[in-house]
Amino acid sequence: MPAFNRRDFLRSAGGAALAAWAHAGLSPLRALAEDPVRTSLPKLVVLYLRGGADPINIVIPWSDPTYRKLRPGLAVGAPGTPGGCLELTKEFGLHPAMGGLHALWGQGLVAPILNVGSPHPTRSHFDAQDFMEYAAPGVRTITEGWLNRWLTATNEGARRDVELRALAAQPLLPRSLRGQFPVLAVPEDKALASMDKFEDLYGGEKKEGGGGMEERPAAGSERILGAGQETIRKLRFLQEILSRPGGRGAAAFPASRLGRQLQGIAQVIKADVGLEVAAADVPGWDHHARQGGPDGQMATMLGDLSSSIAAFTEDLGPDRMKSTLVLVMSEFGRTVAENGNDGTDHGHGGMMLAVGGPVSGGKIYGKWTGLETAQLYEGRDMPVHTDFRLVFAEVLAAHAKLAKSETFFPDWKPAGPMLGFLRNA
Amino acid sequence: MSRVLIAASILAAALALAPAGEPDGGTVAQPGEKLGQREVAFHCLNRLAYGPAPGEVDDLLKRGWMAWALEQLEPGSIDDSALEARIARDCPIMALSDTEAIAAFRPPRPKNRQDLTPEEQLALQREANRLRQSAMEQLRSAVLLRAALSRRQFFEVVANFWRNHFSIDQQKDQCQILGASYEEQVIRKHAFGKFEDMLVASAKHPAMLVYLDNVLSQRPMTERERAMVERALANRKKSEFIQKLERSRGLNENYAREVMELHTVGVRNENIPGGYTQQDVIAVARSLTGWTVSFGEDRVGFTFRKEWHDEDPKSISVLGLKFPGGGGVEEGEEILRRLARHPLTAEFISWKLCRHLVNDVPPEALVRAVAAEYLKTGGDLKAVYTAILFSPEFYSRANFRAKFKTPFEFAVSALRATGSSIEDTTETLRMLEDMGQPIYRCKDPTGYYDQAEAWLDPGTLVYRWTFALRLASGKMRGITLPPDFYKPILDMKPDAMRDALAGAILPGGVDPATARRCGEIVGGDFRPRDRAQELLGTLLGSPTFQEQ
Repeated sequence: MPAFNRRDFLRSAGGAALAAWAHAGLSPLRALAEDPVRTSLPKLVVLYLRGGADPINIVIPWSDPTYRKLRPGLAVGAPGTPGGCLELTKEFGLHPAMGGLHALWGQGLVAPILNVGSPHPTRSHFDAQDFMEYAAPGVRTITEGWLNRWLTATNEGARRDVELRALAAQPLLPRSLRGQFPVLAVPEDKALASMDKFEDLYGGEKKEGGGGMEERPAAGSERILGAGQETIRKLRFLQEILSRPGGRGAAAFPASRLGRQLQGIAQVIKADVGLEVAAADVPGWDHHARQGGPDGQMATMLGDLSSSIAAFTEDLGPDRMKSTLVLVMSEFGRTVAENGNDGTDHGHGGMMLAVGGPVSGGKIYGKWTGLETAQLYEGRDMPVHTDFRLVFAEVLAAHAKLAKSETFFPDWKPAGPMLGFLRNA
Repeated sequence: MSRVLIAASILAAALALAPAGEPDGGTVAQPGEKLGQREVAFHCLNRLAYGPAPGEVDDLLKRGWMAWALEQLEPGSIDDSALEARIARDCPIMALSDTEAIAAFRPPRPKNRQDLTPEEQLALQREANRLRQSAMEQLRSAVLLRAALSRRQFFEVVANFWRNHFSIDQQKDQCQILGASYEEQVIRKHAFGKFEDMLVASAKHPAMLVYLDNVLSQRPMTERERAMVERALANRKKSEFIQKLERSRGLNENYAREVMELHTVGVRNENIPGGYTQQDVIAVARSLTGWTVSFGEDRVGFTFRKEWHDEDPKSISVLGLKFPGGGGVEEGEEILRRLARHPLTAEFISWKLCRHLVNDVPPEALVRAVAAEYLKTGGDLKAVYTAILFSPEFYSRANFRAKFKTPFEFAVSALRATGSSIEDTTETLRMLEDMGQPIYRCKDPTGYYDQAEAWLDPGTLVYRWTFALRLASGKMRGITLPPDFYKPILDMKPDAMRDALAGAILPGGVDPATARRCGEIVGGDFRPRDRAQELLGTLLGSPTFQEQ
């Protein structure tokens, strides 16, 4: 049972030393942080739009008349028209709420990937999200997320001692980060108060007994104590990073959940403590009704997404952004035609957005075959021309330098060339 | 003499427990050392109940743990009418049939929806959300209330096991409303019955059919039908008939796979000699085509649609059986019952139950013995439970305090240990969500993990500590400590206060770190009530309280 390894590690000499260090307030990671490699360490930030985000009202095929015909109530107009989209190419534009990302597109930092998704036909949110986050469509024996598998596979050498290699900027780990590698899920601030009360009990430096009670430890007590220690150590370290003077920077993040999440992630990255993977969920994209066009519910959410990423980019600055990739994804796309409720229903092919210095941006990726019924999946949904695993494989190979990325995915190998949306591909 | 009594008396002779009274304190018990009587009582309450309620360890010592265990094996003999009256009052959906539940909670669907103003549409949406939320909350509340308050504690422990074994996510489609009848008609109805009856009941329940998509599974289109659809697509003329054909996309293997992988023979037995194969998954899926749900105005429930059913012959290697086809609904039922009686299923179910009740890595000899009992009794669950409860392994020191509570077990045991009353479940349900185990919302058909590993991720303990502190300080909304909970100990000396609380919350002994921390609180400068709260919060959040 390999999952026990990390717990054993806590009890090993190295683990004990780490714990003692943290307890004395001398973070070992500050020492490591001086390693200049850490600034240029590849960093991956995954934003998951939960609910099945509508791809063609994000990257809008504005020059195709079929688009307006199928979406009389939802369509966004041509660039330059009132409420029109922001021009990317002669075929595509960004939703008008996404001014921040449009500016980054101008700097060559944005690569939309179209008609990407799962070969599995499911239109269930749950299955589609699981399959994507495990990177194993239809394979139910895989129970560890793709990012966690990568963290486990590369947990060696200098990376091994890194306290905050990965974190989820939310109280529960997304599936992609679940698994044997101990990723920190960051509780809400209000829950952290309880840590103060339990720091003395779990804190790390064990004073033997002396409590005047009969002590009868069970076999597992040490392990639980170890998990508590690890929790406190990582969270204290995180708190310390977040409270460093000047850590916040001047970038104006939206006062939204996502804005706060990305601001926190940016602060950890700027502390150069070896963070390689961060994830945040962005809920609420299941727009069956009242989705809106240039304005409305989805427009507000897209504005938040775009402004948050733009602020994140500004906050990190060009140097760190050079080695930082933000990948935006969703479990599936939606029906091409609008439904009777000013919304769209679950579809098939979706889109992803890659943002950052490693991106070969200013260009649209993924095969596009238009909106004609005969070109659609089952006559109604965007097709999947690019398996999402091809995108993940490119990220693993080019960005995160995983040797053997060929055997990473169960029952699947990349067929054909990479998309090339990353410079190092 | 009943089978249960025979097993119990054999055990009594074999166990020869250590003499009553406390084992030596202050030392780590040796692995071979027998449990003391008090430890056995605590162990029983930890594993066969959600931990001891105030005074319960002493009660068990007085009346004998075996008499208690035997009573728990006859849940019908224990009066629980007060709780059931409360469930009927607070969670009325639990008493409704599928048809009644859908009628009561399905969102209103006016015919003139297109003509409504945006405000009217919004109001409609709000009403639909309210109904859905109410249906889901009632089920979640009922599960929590029963686990915490039922006197039939062992029944609730095994009900939770089966709820997790035949896991559904109440958020998927109509499961929002049908989850309640699933809990009643599948889980609770059969938790002390025969495994194969529970399996068949789950297979035919609308919630499971929806959750694992069998509701959609149809025989694949014939060549002729496929050609018709393609022609229509080319001509862009889609009659209703063609659209209907299009939707009949054929086989959905989801349920057929899970019923073998998760519910019966077990994923460990895929592609091993004698285990199931992908061809078996397809064959079982074909047998179950047409097992779907009727959502009619007058009746909601299982229905068999003959026109969707695949009548070709099928061969199922794991059962060593061939079916000529044309067996209708009975064919699928026969397959399910045969799967339930399969030796691999006996082994898989026994292994899982032993893992739940005994140890994350259950003793192999015990699993074999329990599986033998399963096969001998045709999967009689009471006999299977008995074989575990009255095995020497159950009472061995190696398995004492050897499991790590899941968040659900932690929260329920904390409520019980303090004798808290529950006026409102909302905050507890939400905190279970924070801790990663919302009731009836496991995303995976696997159910929640039973092993410690899954629950020890960095960060997650913070929410247990929060729960412990809020409960101790009386800040949990809707949860009240008994009015006299602290009163009798406030006048005690600090160390006597600690010993009284520790004896109640951690009657099986405490780990050194907790002992040290409690010592600090005893020596610290506190007002009596603050000290008592501090001690209680610490004990509930301690490593030892996470064990069972």
